[in-house]
Amino acid sequence: MTFIALITKNLVRQPVRTALTVLGISIGITTVVALGVIVGGMKATTSQILRAYNSDFIVARKGAADLSLSTVTEQEADEIARRPDVDHTIRALFDITQVGDNPFFATMGVRPQDLALAPPALVAGTILSAGTTEEILLGDAGAANLHASVGSTVELQGRSFRVVGIYHTGNTYQDNGAMAPLRAVQDAAGKANTVTGVYVVVKAGLDPVQVAQSIRDDSPLLTTVANISEVSRVDQGIVLMDALDLAITALAVGIGAIGVMNTMVMSVFERTREIGILRAVGWRGSRIMRMIVGESLILCLIATVVGSALGVAASRAVLMIPAVQSVLDPQYTVNIFARALGVAIAVALVGAAYPAIRAVRLAPMEALRHE
Amino acid sequence: MSDGEPIIDVSGVVKKYEKGLIPALNGTDLTVRRGEWIAIVGKSGCGKSTLLHLLGALDRPDEGTIRVNGRDLATERDLNHYRSREVGLVFQLHNLLMTLSASENVQVPLFEMGLSARQRRERADRMLDLVGLAGKETHRPTELSGGERQRVAVARALVTEPPILLADEPTGSLDSVAGHRVLALLQDIRVKTGLTIVMVTHDPDVAEHADRIIRMLDGRVVGEETPSPQAVRTSV
Repeated sequence: MTFIALITKNLVRQPVRTALTVLGISIGITTVVALGVIVGGMKATTSQILRAYNSDFIVARKGAADLSLSTVTEQEADEIARRPDVDHTIRALFDITQVGDNPFFATMGVRPQDLALAPPALVAGTILSAGTTEEILLGDAGAANLHASVGSTVELQGRSFRVVGIYHTGNTYQDNGAMAPLRAVQDAAGKANTVTGVYVVVKAGLDPVQVAQSIRDDSPLLTTVANISEVSRVDQGIVLMDALDLAITALAVGIGAIGVMNTMVMSVFERTREIGILRAVGWRGSRIMRMIVGESLILCLIATVVGSALGVAASRAVLMIPAVQSVLDPQYTVNIFARALGVAIAVALVGAAYPAIRAVRLAPMEALRHE
Repeated sequence: MSDGEPIIDVSGVVKKYEKGLIPALNGTDLTVRRGEWIAIVGKSGCGKSTLLHLLGALDRPDEGTIRVNGRDLATERDLNHYRSREVGLVFQLHNLLMTLSASENVQVPLFEMGLSARQRRERADRMLDLVGLAGKETHRPTELSGGERQRVAVARALVTEPPILLADEPTGSLDSVAGHRVLALLQDIRVKTGLTIVMVTHDPDVAEHADRIIRMLDGRVVGEETPSPQAVRTSV
């Protein structure tokens, strides 16, 4: 008999209690995994938006609560485009409206001449023609949702657009939306002469980090975002989600640990006499402690497997909502499951600490007298 | 059989419970020689079980010294090592772990000996064979008779090959036939291994199996006697 076999037998003797404890911890792990997948998906989508058009970074309004609420004037956009360290720019206006079943249909307003510098990968048709205000490109997922194809006409905010091309970028958010002429989107959104941000491609051989710093120095009311770690400069939503994610993880650890502690305290109390026997035959306190902590760890490792499976299932259920599908690219990364495992181990150790110490402190004679 | 040097030397031991209000041992002296089988008898509350528990290092004396196989239990730091190597304990109730098989119960003390799982199993099964339970290694305590359970308890107590067996009413929960089988087993093992046995009992017939009977009263040893060979034959 191995030590692990002995520990497992202790858990199996109360199968209902063990199962309920595993279920309780699993719910916490499920939340951690599902939230991790969703927050990771939001970050991935945001990252893809930040690096659209093969740009080095995006310039946006400093302190904006959300990237989509950033407003950069076209005059500011012109100044950035004229900089000697900038190769070219793509100014973009994000407009999010309900189209069909999708309440988050994202139309990116871009100048056709800018788009020509960094055209999306076309699945069908062509890019926007110069000077047009009536043409539109649809993402392939958006086109499928709208049952549209090249040559179709789609209605956006009361305006009719003729579909001239279908693209695929790999960005869920963009592929569920559209690219339309900047002027038309500005008119439809009532945001004349402003854009959300300016995508910047720096001159070859220059360091994008230094160019971004230079732009921030020259334009104190603007900021630059090159990656997700800098997104808090223009988007508090991700920061909020990160905080929520952390809070729920901490809550999962706390609630899980209380559940494990309750189970292990009961288990130790019920086995007081047995622990006395183990001490009487020479078991050291450290081995008793390893037994209790081992039982707790096995409980939590089973819960990690169950909770991870339920978390994946829960995140997939959330993704069945069409509105979510259009904005979220789910991320099932190793990090998420490693964190779930970390949470489980923390739950196991915190939950087992008190009962293990209590078991070790039992005097053998006192334990043997226990009925 | 009991001509060896002293293996247990108890001197002036005092033990009180309930914050000193209830004296259990009141200046107890006792010497046991290597290979000897002694029976400690006396009325309930005379301190015989308390003395056995102190010898098993399940508790510490308030006063006095207890030297066992060269170790002073009052100052011994590693009582776990002492409990696992120097003494084996058998209780009135077998105190087996009910979720484990007979073999697994016997393996439990071996976890502290640094043996592999296979070595533990082989050693436990050999011990079960010695106590006459070959073929019942996988039986759980609920599948064994009272006498068989007590024999498993004896196997567990002796699997680490301690020089001393401490038995607290080892036949107290058994019928007379099963009880005598256990006593015959202890005698057989003692003959084969030179084991020293300290047994607490309230049953005069059981005490007659020992080499020497120690009588206790009010926490002190008040006398000792040698059982008659006739009495042992009769009881067996």
